[in-house]
Amino acid sequence: MRLHRLLVRHFAAIPDVDLAFGPGLNVLYGPNDIGKSTLADAIRLALLLPHTSTACEPYIPWSGGEDPLVELTFETEPQRIWRVRKQFGKRGSSLLQVSRNGVDFEDVERARKVDAKLRDILRWGIPEPGGSGAGKGLPTSFLATALLSTQANVTDVLNRSLRDDGTLSGKSQIAAALEAVAQDSLFLALLRQAQARRDEAFTDKGAKKTARGSVFKIAADRVKEAREEKERLEKIVEESDEVEAHLKDLYQKRTHAEGELAAAEERLVAVQLLAGQVIAREVAGEAVESARAEVARIQGIDQAVAEAEQRVRDLAAAKEQAEQNLKAGKAAAASAGDALVSAEEQASATGSDMAETVARQGLELQKLSAEQAVEAARRRVEAAIRVQEKVQAADRVEEEHRQKEAEAASARERRAEATQAETSANDALRRCEVLERGAEARIAERTVASARAEVERESALHADSKRIAAERADLAERRTALVVPGAAILPALRKLETELATARGALEVGFVMTVIPTSLVALQVRKDGVAVVPTTIARPLVIEADAEAEVDIADLATVRVRGGRREAQDRARALESRRAAEVLPHLVAAGVEDLEGLEEKMTEAKELDSRLQSIDVELESLGRQLAGFSGAAETLREASERSAACRLALEDETVETLASDLDLLGPDPSASLRARRQQATRDAEAARAAVQESATAQALAEERTRALRSTLEAARADRDAALLAFPCGLASEIAAAEASLRAAEEDRERVATELRSLQSRMAARKSEIDSVLAQVRDAVDEAQRGVETAQESLSKAIADHSNEEGRLVERRRQRAAEDLPTAECALRETTDRHDALPVPERMISAEEVTLATEVSAKARQALASLTEEILTTQGRLQQVGGAIAKDRLRQAVEAFELAEQQDYEIETDYEAWKLLLEQMKEADADQASNLGQALAPAIAGRFEALTRQRYQNVHLSADLSTEGVFVAGEVRSPDRMSVGTREQLSTLYRLCLGEYLQTTVVLDDQLVQSDDVRMEWFRGLLAEKARIFQILVFTCRPGDYLTEGARVGEDGMVCVDGDEGFVRAIDLGRALSGNSAHPKVSE
Amino acid sequence: MLKLLHTADWHLGRRFPTFPEEAQKKLSRARMDVVVRILELARRHGVHAVLCAGDLFDDQAPAPDFWAGLAKIFHDHPIEAPVFLVPGNHDPLKEGSVWSAKHPFRASLPAGVHVVDRDDFSYEITPEAVLYAQPCRSTAGQDDPAMALPEREAGDSRLRIGCVHGSTFDMPGYETDFPIRREAGVLRGLDYLAIGDAHSFRDVTPNLSVPTVYPGTPEPTNFDEPGSGKVAVVALFRQGSRRPRVEAASVASWTWIDVRCRDMNELRSLLTRQDLERHVVRLHLDMTVTLAEESELTRIVRDLEGTDATHGRAGILVVDRTKLRVQTGSADAFPADLPPVLEDTVARLNRIVEGSMVEAEKERATRALTHLYKLLQQQDDLPGGVR
Repeated sequence: MRLHRLLVRHFAAIPDVDLAFGPGLNVLYGPNDIGKSTLADAIRLALLLPHTSTACEPYIPWSGGEDPLVELTFETEPQRIWRVRKQFGKRGSSLLQVSRNGVDFEDVERARKVDAKLRDILRWGIPEPGGSGAGKGLPTSFLATALLSTQANVTDVLNRSLRDDGTLSGKSQIAAALEAVAQDSLFLALLRQAQARRDEAFTDKGAKKTARGSVFKIAADRVKEAREEKERLEKIVEESDEVEAHLKDLYQKRTHAEGELAAAEERLVAVQLLAGQVIAREVAGEAVESARAEVARIQGIDQAVAEAEQRVRDLAAAKEQAEQNLKAGKAAAASAGDALVSAEEQASATGSDMAETVARQGLELQKLSAEQAVEAARRRVEAAIRVQEKVQAADRVEEEHRQKEAEAASARERRAEATQAETSANDALRRCEVLERGAEARIAERTVASARAEVERESALHADSKRIAAERADLAERRTALVVPGAAILPALRKLETELATARGALEVGFVMTVIPTSLVALQVRKDGVAVVPTTIARPLVIEADAEAEVDIADLATVRVRGGRREAQDRARALESRRAAEVLPHLVAAGVEDLEGLEEKMTEAKELDSRLQSIDVELESLGRQLAGFSGAAETLREASERSAACRLALEDETVETLASDLDLLGPDPSASLRARRQQATRDAEAARAAVQESATAQALAEERTRALRSTLEAARADRDAALLAFPCGLASEIAAAEASLRAAEEDRERVATELRSLQSRMAARKSEIDSVLAQVRDAVDEAQRGVETAQESLSKAIADHSNEEGRLVERRRQRAAEDLPTAECALRETTDRHDALPVPERMISAEEVTLATEVSAKARQALASLTEEILTTQGRLQQVGGAIAKDRLRQAVEAFELAEQQDYEIETDYEAWKLLLEQMKEADADQASNLGQALAPAIAGRFEALTRQRYQNVHLSADLSTEGVFVAGEVRSPDRMSVGTREQLSTLYRLCLGEYLQTTVVLDDQLVQSDDVRMEWFRGLLAEKARIFQILVFTCRPGDYLTEGARVGEDGMVCVDGDEGFVRAIDLGRALSGNSAHPKVSE
Repeated sequence: MLKLLHTADWHLGRRFPTFPEEAQKKLSRARMDVVVRILELARRHGVHAVLCAGDLFDDQAPAPDFWAGLAKIFHDHPIEAPVFLVPGNHDPLKEGSVWSAKHPFRASLPAGVHVVDRDDFSYEITPEAVLYAQPCRSTAGQDDPAMALPEREAGDSRLRIGCVHGSTFDMPGYETDFPIRREAGVLRGLDYLAIGDAHSFRDVTPNLSVPTVYPGTPEPTNFDEPGSGKVAVVALFRQGSRRPRVEAASVASWTWIDVRCRDMNELRSLLTRQDLERHVVRLHLDMTVTLAEESELTRIVRDLEGTDATHGRAGILVVDRTKLRVQTGSADAFPADLPPVLEDTVARLNRIVEGSMVEAEKERATRALTHLYKLLQQQDDLPGGVR
């Protein structure tokens, strides 16, 4: 702040004055009681006192009338010029204006608000008017006192501090000013760099920069990218693991399903075995029945032979009867013919052509004969055809018999093959069992080897563990023996040692002491703690010591001399006490003599700690490894027992003999054997079923063959019997019979034609005699029919007899072919076989066999389904990646961890920069807030120069209260200084503040108690500072501040400027008398 | 005698996301460069065939730079012996893969380079020697590719070599990575079974008459691949006369090492090692250092890893600082003539380090002290610095 102008009217004794101030030193001088302090007060009131305050009363003009008016123009920063106008009293008012050029002003605040605004502008630690911290009267503060103190309170600044301020604005302003000037250049350089590094990562408000390109964004993007890649691969691996787990599950299920299938098949085999037993008994039963039927059949043939013999006898009798009937019929026919001849002769005799009649009769007889021949030939042909049919029937039966025999032979072959296959399958099954035991034995042996290796490894680890534990115990013992403090304490101990050495050094001032005896006297001298040989002297003894000497004079006295000041000795003693308390216990405990030894011990202890820690880690690792081997011995024992049991189970075989077969089983012998066993079981089962099926087929075929053989033999007998009637052969007989038939038919046709011709001729004549002859003919016909009937009966009887005889022959041949004793023997054998067959444990129903078959089929289906799913899952696994995905995931995890680590490093690094910056700023602020530390050196330096080093080190508190000045080795309170010195110190203090704050300082007769020398010094100082900030000096002794030529001349001017405008002399006498206050530049 | 060079697991195009970008490029390029050395080695040994047993690309559809680069290498470094490329589980033979017949890579290969793209692939290397191979067609599979090779027929007295990609690690029922049974070579009547997948050189069947060999990756891909960086040079003798001789030949340009420093002396000694420029170094800083030591540590690490202007002593460096602790509070850590405000700053940060119960806060304060220390050092180092 710099004051431009002060206008005062009706203010105490000052009626009207208008002063313009220069930028530097303004010396306002005039005689006593001219109103210098009033003007200083006017400035204070303009800046600090509300116009409504009663504290203005002392300034109401003595003459009454107008209210006091003060108008002060001041500048707080370039182009920021304020003008405050206050009229105190009942009609008081306040107005605050601002201007950029000092000419054109604008109102800012009025009335009460003016002071609030002013205090805000000034920032002197004065609270707003009317606030809680506001007092009555002229408000004050540390800065108000320091910058505007009154003549009556010249040294007030030494008695005040910032603690008394109503607000912190004064302290803040000073702190800000001191910070700006007090910062070390190195600190500033580092601060700038720290700030730059911090700003790379953080916003002004301290938030992390997350924009594109920022370090955090880059790191976060890197982490995000790595995380996404990791998660993507994790999903793949998870899927792969899932598929692998699923596959594993499927394998287990398959094993289970294989077991179930094996069980189902085993059950099916058992059921089929029982069913086979049942069937075998049924077949045997059937065989018994068949044998029994065979016996019955042979017995039936015997019965049939007897019956046939009886029928032959009956038919022979019938034939004889028919022959007799034929003879009787022929006799009757002959008789009737005779009667007809007689009648016809009578008819002829009565007029008919005899020749025609004879011819007709002859033709009729020929016709009858021809028809009989035709009939006989037809019967002959038919008989031959019947025989031929028998021959053909016998051939068919023979063919069928051959087929059945072939089928039986085929069935026998199939049965033999199936039996062979069953034997092979059973052999394969037995081999599987041997190999399974072999594989089991081999696995057991491998387990033994593995378990033995683990036991050996465990022993080795135990040995390592014991060795390391012993080493640890040794190290722990060595470490226990080392009693050393923590590493952090060592610097403090060193510092103490250094300080003690320094303190001791301060005592080693060196001195010479002379003992001047007045008579012979015995002395015992100790120099610097070392005893000197006792002596007796009569002459003066000179003793030279560095720090301490002690002389025992006989028994009279002891003289002790120590170098150094008392404070130094006290300090040394105190430090020695501290050493005894703080250092020695550590040295004693560690068994060393000095800190170097202690440090060595600490280093040794640290190394031991490190070794112990390392060994602990190693032991822990060994422990974990050993824990992993727990139960290895038990495992070995179990594995050994298992191996022995397995070898025992091998019986004649050994693992070595089976090795080549086992090697061929592949990496999973169990699975291979299981598959092989299942296959063998299936083969055996199939073979067994085939054996049963073929046995059944064979039995049926043989039975059918046997049955057909009987039929065949009967057919053959029938055929042979029929063929006996045709010794020339059946074909020639048929041909002859057919030829005979054809000739007879032709003859008959010819006779019939001739007869029809004759009859047509005789018809006319015949009609006459027909009626005559009709009766006779009827009789003849009747007799003829009787003959024919008898002939037919005879033929039938002959044929029946022949047939029956043929059948009888056949029966007899059939019976002759049968072997009843053999059949009865077969019956006994089959009965015995049936009785010998095992009776099934229980009866097996077809449903039960079907159910077992279905269960087996379902199990097989389930296994097939699982196998298919395994193939599908294997396909899936091929798609998802397997080991590659894991390998890539491992890389991705490493990349992600690295990215996270880098992210952490970057974050920590920049957080550290941020922290460093914060701590630097806080330290800086603390340094600044300890205003005394910052301000004291400047004051002390000047004070030291002023007092020519008599006073040193001004002590100011953090709140700028003056604690004293270091003088003659002690801090002396200002109260103990002379008034003049106190005034000088106060002035220096105020000038320092003014300089730091770059603001106006008003000195109202500040240095009235100073001598010329110091005033001269001050004059120089003020002239120097005038170039930096504004100083207003009110004095009645202008010579103290102005050179002779710098004062206002006798030309009537109120003021004059000198020293390039930085010094302005204002003659208040003239100013108050109404002269112009315009400056005049001195030469 | 039949001589073969057997290699696998080139993993061209592999990414190294845990390394800085420049290091990633170095490692990626090295995988291409090693192919040249492999071909040169094959030429020097005069082998009859070069067998590449899968995972030659890191992905079934590598970027054109890699497949075109590989084709160019084959053209620029021709050898007389035929080269056989087998698709592995990383780069399976699929529709659209680099191995598919329509892919331009196939057309760009020289005549002597054969891609195994049939399940019944066979090739008569000499009248007395025949190669059987099978490609991977998916990234995972449970069928044994070696057992899929044809058996030796009665009277066949030729040398029979198998070449497939898969894992000899076997757990019955749980194989997902083309499991190869150890006896496969014997069971199939082979004289040598060249396989790929594991990254370390290993004769899987030292006790069998038929060697089943992983040559390992010719350029390591990680720190945990002992015995990598090699190819197998195989000599086969008359069929059935004696076991083939298998030798590992180093071809890698980079050696991956883990270095653990427990104190500053160990770290300083790293600077004296002469062979680090071809090493990928993972440096574990397992120590507690003072602020001054931390500053020196930073300088050493910078010397090792290089800067924009200088090459590092180590070819590639990654630093593990998780066990690095900075000890603050040392009386002589900071200069004695610090301005009071800086002394106060140091004291404040030390108080946080010593007094805070929050580890992260302590860490921040420690780092802040480290920053401050380094700032001061920089000031000292600056010509006409503030101090």
